Amino acid sequence: MIHIQLNKKLKSNKGTFTLDIDFTLSSNELLTIEGHSGAGKTTILRLIAGLIYPDDGRIELDDEIWFDKKNNISLPAKKRKVGLVFQDYALFPNMNIMENLEYALVDKKDKNYLNEIIDIMEIGDLVERKPDTLSGGQKQRVALARALVRKPKLLLLDEPLSALDTEMRSKLQDYILKIHRKYNLATILVSHDISEIFKMSNKVIRIVDGKIISQGSVQDVFQEKYISGKFRFTGEILNIEKDDVVYIVSVLIGNNIVKVIGCEEEIKELQPGDKVIIASKAFNPLIIKPGFISKKVE
Amino acid sequence: MTDLNPILLSFELAGITTFILLIVSVPLAYWLSTTNNKSKPVVDTFVSMPLVLPPSVLGFYLLVAFSPANFLGAFLQNIFNVRLVFSFEGLIIASIIYSLPFMVQPLQSGLESLPRSLNEAAETLGKGRLSILFNVLLPNIKPSLLTGIVLSFAHTIGEFGVVLMIGGNIPGKTRVASIAIYDEVESLNYHNANIYALILFLITFMILLTVYYTNHKYFRAGKT
Amino acid sequence: MNKLVGKIDSIRTSGNLSIAGILVNLDIMKAVLIETPATAPFLKKGETINVIFKETEVSLAKNFSGKISLQNKLNCRILSIENGELLSKVILDYKGEKLISIITQFAVEDMDLKPGDEVVALIKTNEVILSQE
Repeated sequence: MIHIQLNKKLKSNKGTFTLDIDFTLSSNELLTIEGHSGAGKTTILRLIAGLIYPDDGRIELDDEIWFDKKNNISLPAKKRKVGLVFQDYALFPNMNIMENLEYALVDKKDKNYLNEIIDIMEIGDLVERKPDTLSGGQKQRVALARALVRKPKLLLLDEPLSALDTEMRSKLQDYILKIHRKYNLATILVSHDISEIFKMSNKVIRIVDGKIISQGSVQDVFQEKYISGKFRFTGEILNIEKDDVVYIVSVLIGNNIVKVIGCEEEIKELQPGDKVIIASKAFNPLIIKPGFISKKVE
Repeated sequence: MTDLNPILLSFELAGITTFILLIVSVPLAYWLSTTNNKSKPVVDTFVSMPLVLPPSVLGFYLLVAFSPANFLGAFLQNIFNVRLVFSFEGLIIASIIYSLPFMVQPLQSGLESLPRSLNEAAETLGKGRLSILFNVLLPNIKPSLLTGIVLSFAHTIGEFGVVLMIGGNIPGKTRVASIAIYDEVESLNYHNANIYALILFLITFMILLTVYYTNHKYFRAGKT
Repeated sequence: MNKLVGKIDSIRTSGNLSIAGILVNLDIMKAVLIETPATAPFLKKGETINVIFKETEVSLAKNFSGKISLQNKLNCRILSIENGELLSKVILDYKGEKLISIITQFAVEDMDLKPGDEVVALIKTNEVILSQE
């Protein structure tokens, strides 16, 4: 069980606010921290990793205590077994991929483990190359592999996929889930991509100005508690267009764009880029085999 | 026949100075690039002072400090039997102080230009400061290292005022090339002055050219 | 989205399906769901619930007589009509609450709908979504 309780005064462009959070997760859980930019999400990861220190609080991992203000315990970053994957990947440019990984290896003789990680992340072809020559997705896989090589007890991912395109992102989400399940590795992910959160997390905490405003399962946090629609997807609004007395809202769901009719009252608060839930009764959708209707008219 | 000793002495002085500067400046630049300490501006100021102070000012204070008539000079003379005024050792110390910004500043700005996440990533991988410095930071600021080494070397070769003040003009001991040129001109010996000057000119040109060429190639390779 | 607030009045369940009767402004509205009281904790008599249905799923009838399979019949008065090229937005007053129906412009012409007309808003039970915040 991991228990994290942090308190720190932060400065932002809106003035100062206090980061004040308290949450737990168990070692087989993947928890996502969600919130607007500047809410303190990245700071939380940096505090857990020991790159900065809280004003007050306690960080406890199973039987290890990484930080405890009351008892004056504060392990430096290098003593905390975390794997932190940075937004900019932070691969060492002077080392090739193998050297990057070997540098992180605690026991230099533990080549089996190193090779296992290289296999899982499918980066065997890249080991001789320098980080500069890799694509964003490749760098991300190497960064993830390097964080794992150190055998962390807690994996911290700071919006690791935000710079990648949809397809690459989906593949990397699968890699992250694969290692999370294989090593039973407690993972904290910072993300504000709702589809990512739905796919990845067991648990979500939502943060506004440094405070947790809701936490629980994805369904609890992101949906009206109970809604009896069965046909339901999360997507992102691409476009809103007025047509006649209604509006046509184009929504990206996965890799598909769907069009939904909306009324003025419905779309009033919406704009392109917003994440929305598209819901319908289970009675409405038709189920048709591809090819059954050769020219589909809707 | 022209006496080439002053040229050799200049290079010896510059070589030793640069070597010591490198050892001193790496930790100093690392500290300056990472610290939030309140004393940082003061240290920054002291490091940069030789850039703006007339060499004679620095030379004068060092002369006073090293003089056996004063505390520090007397202390060194009596306890270690070291005399820093009008000696090669004195020249080295003066040169180190005088060329300090030429080594520290490139290293510091090189280190500061590295993404902070490199340092932090290494920390979260369980590495200590020494390992991070030698395995991650320094290898990624090679152009800065080269710039610092060459600028310190070239600057020490070209120094005149401080050397004159503290070293004087003792052949084989403190009579470096820049002093020798001045001396030859004073005695209207233009031929020798010309030889010293030309040698210094060519060697300095070659050194700087090598640096700029290497850095140019390095950056171009980095981009593709 | 049209949204009314009501209280669950009755629940009939068969297999995975339920039909809930909801008391809304003294009318009974009905919704058919693929839920049972076991899968949806809000399906309980007396629970306050949101009754949601899309504007485009609201049919209108004028001078209505006879029998019809639609179970949700709300007596309304037309407040205003906004005509488009093909579609019309009919704004209704249902016992003080605003409802919207989007129907074709042909229908508005054919039925000669005007503000002030008394109409019945008809919604199929399978178009009604229940939600609880």
